[in-house]
Amino acid sequence: MTQTSDLAFDRIAGVRKTPLEEFYASGHRTCQGCESALVMRQFAKASGPRTVVTGSTGCMYVANTSYMTTPWVVPWMHTQLGAAGPSAIGMAAGLRALMRKGRIAQERINVISFCGDLGGGDMGLSGISGALQSPYDLLIILYDNESAANTDIQATGLTTYGAQTTFTPPGKVHRVMQRRWKKNVAGMLAVGHPTCRYVATACSAYPPLDFLNKVRKALAVGGPTFIHTFDPCPKGWDYHPSYSHELGELGIKCGIFPLYEIVDGRVSYTYDPKKKGRIPVREYLEKQGRFAHLIDEDVAYIQRRVDAMWEEWEIPGVAPLKGGLRPA
Amino acid sequence: MIKRVEINYRGIYQKTLARRIGSDLVLIASRLGKVAFSNGRYSDAPERDGIPCKYFVFVSPDLPEEELEAECGAKLDIDVADVSIVLDDTMVKGVEPWAWHGVRPINEKVSADGCLLVVTRREPTQLLAFIAAKPHPYRLATLEGDASLSGLWVFKDDLTHERVLGAVAAVDPGIVTIDAVADYLADEGREPRRAEAARTAHAATVQRIRPVAPDAGISWTYAIPELPAWDAFGEGVAVPGVERRSELGPGGQARNAGFPRGTTKTERPVVRFDLCTRCTLCWLECPDGCFDPTADEYYDVAYAYCTGCGKCAAVCPVKECIVMVDELRFEDTASPWAAYRRDPAAYLAWAEGKKGPERRSYAHITGTGVEVRPAPAVRARRTRKEVATR
Repeated sequence: MTQTSDLAFDRIAGVRKTPLEEFYASGHRTCQGCESALVMRQFAKASGPRTVVTGSTGCMYVANTSYMTTPWVVPWMHTQLGAAGPSAIGMAAGLRALMRKGRIAQERINVISFCGDLGGGDMGLSGISGALQSPYDLLIILYDNESAANTDIQATGLTTYGAQTTFTPPGKVHRVMQRRWKKNVAGMLAVGHPTCRYVATACSAYPPLDFLNKVRKALAVGGPTFIHTFDPCPKGWDYHPSYSHELGELGIKCGIFPLYEIVDGRVSYTYDPKKKGRIPVREYLEKQGRFAHLIDEDVAYIQRRVDAMWEEWEIPGVAPLKGGLRPA
Repeated sequence: MIKRVEINYRGIYQKTLARRIGSDLVLIASRLGKVAFSNGRYSDAPERDGIPCKYFVFVSPDLPEEELEAECGAKLDIDVADVSIVLDDTMVKGVEPWAWHGVRPINEKVSADGCLLVVTRREPTQLLAFIAAKPHPYRLATLEGDASLSGLWVFKDDLTHERVLGAVAAVDPGIVTIDAVADYLADEGREPRRAEAARTAHAATVQRIRPVAPDAGISWTYAIPELPAWDAFGEGVAVPGVERRSELGPGGQARNAGFPRGTTKTERPVVRFDLCTRCTLCWLECPDGCFDPTADEYYDVAYAYCTGCGKCAAVCPVKECIVMVDELRFEDTASPWAAYRRDPAAYLAWAEGKKGPERRSYAHITGTGVEVRPAPAVRARRTRKEVATR
């Protein structure tokens, strides 16, 4: 089995070694302080000029394609809301066929497909599952701002428990309307697709360069790969945009969003709370307007579930399973 | 006769405020026996934090409802406005809406003898230093107050809503009268302070309406793009990508010239290059990629593309190195690094002058508070070269 640290890839060794060139440029219609836009900018920077990108409907489609202008330097194609997986397969298969027929030069072209949490985590999940079983080199990035943010913040399967959204406004009788626990997409895909060699979670804000290097590593591992990013969203989470970095860092440090990578079935934690500790989830929740209606009881419930994820799960943060076969 | 009102507001932050002003103007006009309706500009949805948006109100004393709707409904934008309300004064520097209409003057739609009504703490002459000159006379009114910014879920109840209704009655009683506004606000057991706020704002605004002569204002430097019609599109909808480019120095990076979106900002980062440790974090963490690496490893700011989110100031590890400053203190989007290279001492003096003696820090949850503190004085740091030559 390949050890994570053994894998050879073109690692960006320090912030000063980060490539200067942009392939997702300035001049897009995202919100002030948009972390999903930073995800686009960073993955394009990490993957470089020989990249084709496809993206399903969502903020990062609509905000980047209005009326005959684009911030993309590399080729980008819009695909339907649930089609992040199939469009990536189509692009990769098309490139392979063109190379086989000699129509284009034989070379490595990165195929990256991105989707939001509604497009990827809910609607397009079957398509992504199909792509992760395909024989092509492709990377699917799920940028997770925890709502259908483009259409003014509707709840999705990845919205944090208790959050206010257009679908889950707190009322006088029912305070908590978002009662679903966040879907564990990266863990689900890793557990369910044992031949997929690389699954990771990341945050573009923290730790610095981690997301860029995970993109580089996923592309180097080859085959179908998947990265789930955690993107603070000033519009839907309701915080002042200057705190985008801080909210990302707090989300990781309180353990509500686990940071890890899984290479050939081996889990390694990018932020290991067992070694580095966890801050209370309250510090993360209280800085967002979407949780302003929660009371101590709700915060305690969220804290208990996060504690359980790190202390009781067999593989913390990845698989919510306990027990299993034990030696007699 | 139709009276047209447009409400210019900051996307998301003032969405609820603009909608309430619009719907209340309709309800008040209806009480006066007029026909009215309001709607948002179609191309503004879905809104993004800070990107300028518009809400419209149409009022007619004589047209039947169907005719008013046929005349004013389902349009991308209006041609003229009798009153243009501006809920955040930094928008007087121009507005670049969602759907690539170019950077437009804030008074573009104001009709002859129409009125531009700005919520501001500045004097009209200060505002006219940014506003485009118009070929015809119009009126400029100011309503003293801060931009009432809040989040998507919150309505910030700071009486801006009531005060703007009173001010509209002051600038054009043909739309609503102050008595009707006050009656409406006193209805349904609402606190008396609401109607009082409207009356006070009305009285103050009457004193603060001034005529603007045809040549007053600046000549507008932004070109308004010609939008291709549907039949001018190629097969499919393919858009040329941004040309690949990466050079050191101001403006050296590839950028989308079609939508600079600098009008999103209410504040801009001012950089003290002498304090910079070249840690790269502002550049690395900017969602808009508006920092330009330079040959001496500093990061210049492309202000035309900066949206003023303030992330760079938040992640900068050096105190006072990057500070967010009110956008209305700046005339242009020239390169700060080039100015620093030309004359470091003059640039630092200029930067400190712009920053002023106070720093604002915002509460985490949007619109819930601003703390203003005196600024610490940080002396200019000598560069290694300067130290070595001494």
